[in-house]
Amino acid sequence: MNLLSLLGILSSAIYSGTSLLYTALGEVIHERAGMVNLGLEGVLLVSAASGFAITVQSGNPYLGVLVSVIAGALLNMVFGYLTVIRKANQLASGLAIMFFGFGLSALIGNPYVGKSIHALPRFELPGLAHLPTLTASLFRFDLLIFLVIPTAVIVWFLLFRTRWGLGLRAVGENANIAYASGRNPLLIQFQALLVGGMLAGLGAAHIAIAYAMNWTEYMTGGRGFIAVALVIFSRWHPIRAIVGALLFSASVAVQLVLQNSGINISPFLLDCFPYIITLLVLIAWGGTKKQQAPASLGRVFQGTK
Amino acid sequence: MNKKFYWLLAVTIIAAFTLTACGAPATEAPAEAPVEEVEEVEEVEEEGPCLIIGATYGGPINDAGYNQAFHESVMKIKENIDCVEIIEAENVYDEAGATTTIEQMIQQGAGMIIATAFSHQDPAYELATKYPDVIFEHAGGWLMGANFANFYGKPPDVWYAQGVAAGLMTKTNRLGFVAAFPLGWTLTFANAFNLGAKSVNPDVVTEVKFTYAWGDSTKEAEVTNALINAGADVITMHVDSPATVLSTAESRGVYSIGFQNTAAQQFAPKYWIVGSGFTLGDKLTWLASTVIDGTWTPIFLRCSLKEGCMELSDFGPEVPQEVQDQVLQTVDDLDAGTIVAFAGPIKDQDGNVVVADGEVLTDDLMSNVDWMVEGMIGSPK
Repeated sequence: MNLLSLLGILSSAIYSGTSLLYTALGEVIHERAGMVNLGLEGVLLVSAASGFAITVQSGNPYLGVLVSVIAGALLNMVFGYLTVIRKANQLASGLAIMFFGFGLSALIGNPYVGKSIHALPRFELPGLAHLPTLTASLFRFDLLIFLVIPTAVIVWFLLFRTRWGLGLRAVGENANIAYASGRNPLLIQFQALLVGGMLAGLGAAHIAIAYAMNWTEYMTGGRGFIAVALVIFSRWHPIRAIVGALLFSASVAVQLVLQNSGINISPFLLDCFPYIITLLVLIAWGGTKKQQAPASLGRVFQGTK
Repeated sequence: MNKKFYWLLAVTIIAAFTLTACGAPATEAPAEAPVEEVEEVEEVEEEGPCLIIGATYGGPINDAGYNQAFHESVMKIKENIDCVEIIEAENVYDEAGATTTIEQMIQQGAGMIIATAFSHQDPAYELATKYPDVIFEHAGGWLMGANFANFYGKPPDVWYAQGVAAGLMTKTNRLGFVAAFPLGWTLTFANAFNLGAKSVNPDVVTEVKFTYAWGDSTKEAEVTNALINAGADVITMHVDSPATVLSTAESRGVYSIGFQNTAAQQFAPKYWIVGSGFTLGDKLTWLASTVIDGTWTPIFLRCSLKEGCMELSDFGPEVPQEVQDQVLQTVDDLDAGTIVAFAGPIKDQDGNVVVADGEVLTDDLMSNVDWMVEGMIGSPK
């Protein structure tokens, strides 16, 4: 294995970890507000299809990203209507949104299969100009990659250093008490879903418009679920999610490098690596009081009589 | 509360399955603009179509890849024989879906079924015994029956020629092949590619990596990058759509060679070397005409670049004239038989002789290949 391959693993981890991290950050925000959205896979697909379609239509990848963000937010609003206004069960609504997303994204994306696009432009990192072209091309990143870590920090700041974040976490712990102390749980949950949907939209845009540069049905390949696993792995903390996203996506890259190295690890085993370490994390920290799941995660706030 | 949840879950799942079940309906192809010349068959026009053809595809028919190439070939029948009617179904992923879709087509009166996906062979073959009056043609398989035959191009020759192009263009002497699964045909293509490259550049090594999916775009991007990082400076592929692999190679500034459909060139405007695609329209037209006039017989049809069943794309802007000439010369030689892609002796990676000296790998063995040629990097199992 040469240096380029090792750097390649890092580069692949950054590239495919970016979409994972955006999506997971969105899910951290929902879950901190007590909402578990299993429909993320569908949200990702619809955002990716819409963003890709607009990129083909307009020729402008940034417009595509914007549309992805709007589509993600819209679909999360549907989830919000079901679970916050109609008080429907969150797991059932999430699954419904997921299957809906499968169909809707196929419908939106169908005319754009096999179309070529102007992908999101990549920029040279300063100071890498003297490297060989192949190595340098590993670290030519697009705007969404540059913004993902700052976004994680902003999410952390919003959740843990602002009054809004305090209120949001209060709703996730106990919506009744938050309500009694003058917060509006319904409004806060909607806000959380709006921001979370936009972040998922960014993740989806990165998959379709920046990395794969292509639309195919079910192209997210379970990343919505890996993001949910990642949230559990990072124990609902945006900064730990950065490490998790790199680790999860590096496992795929490592598998591809190992494929022909004589070390025979089944690709199918490595594909379930994210879930295995999530299981391990659950086993290790499952019972501890500190850093547990938000107390009323998945519970529907019924309002007060 | 709990009970309510399970009810909802059950309803959701049932609804979802119902929705996905009707996800791939057989759609009627839109009527094409009237065609001036009608070949082979005339004046059967009066009442209804002279033949209804049902075609099934394993993916979307606009994928700039395999499915689009076969869709265009099938539509060529309609262009040439005006009185046929074509029913198409795309995105028929699995065997169960293929069985129901083909049966529906037969219910709608289809007298000829063209199954283009690899996985449609077994379901189509079973239905062929159930409906002895319907003619079945499958693309790229090996089964034959009284009313069931197989047709395809001769991709190994084209792959050999593409290998020549790659062998002449590479500077690192390392070629990367992005493949979906270690299947017989895929390995045959990779082997032919490697043999072609070796014939002009003995130092060449081809590395094959698998995505284990026909259309997982992000995996394809990662595999392409992994091959490039291992040193490959020419990338080629055997997955459904060339879009991601070629776009990724282009973004890294390495050469690429396309397959399935020459439309692939659009994804690599600068570093494109050459590519090839299936153009089976004329042969399918001929097959359909024999079905119409009742002279159809099951033949194991394989036809080459020169016979018009495959086409070579234009060369990319960076390919020197000498390389272009040599590739075209190779195509001619393959067609004339002065070069044979799989002529013995050929050894596999472990040094076992797989094609003996003086022998040639025959077409029917190519689909069952489970080895890679000596010196290639990759695991064929």
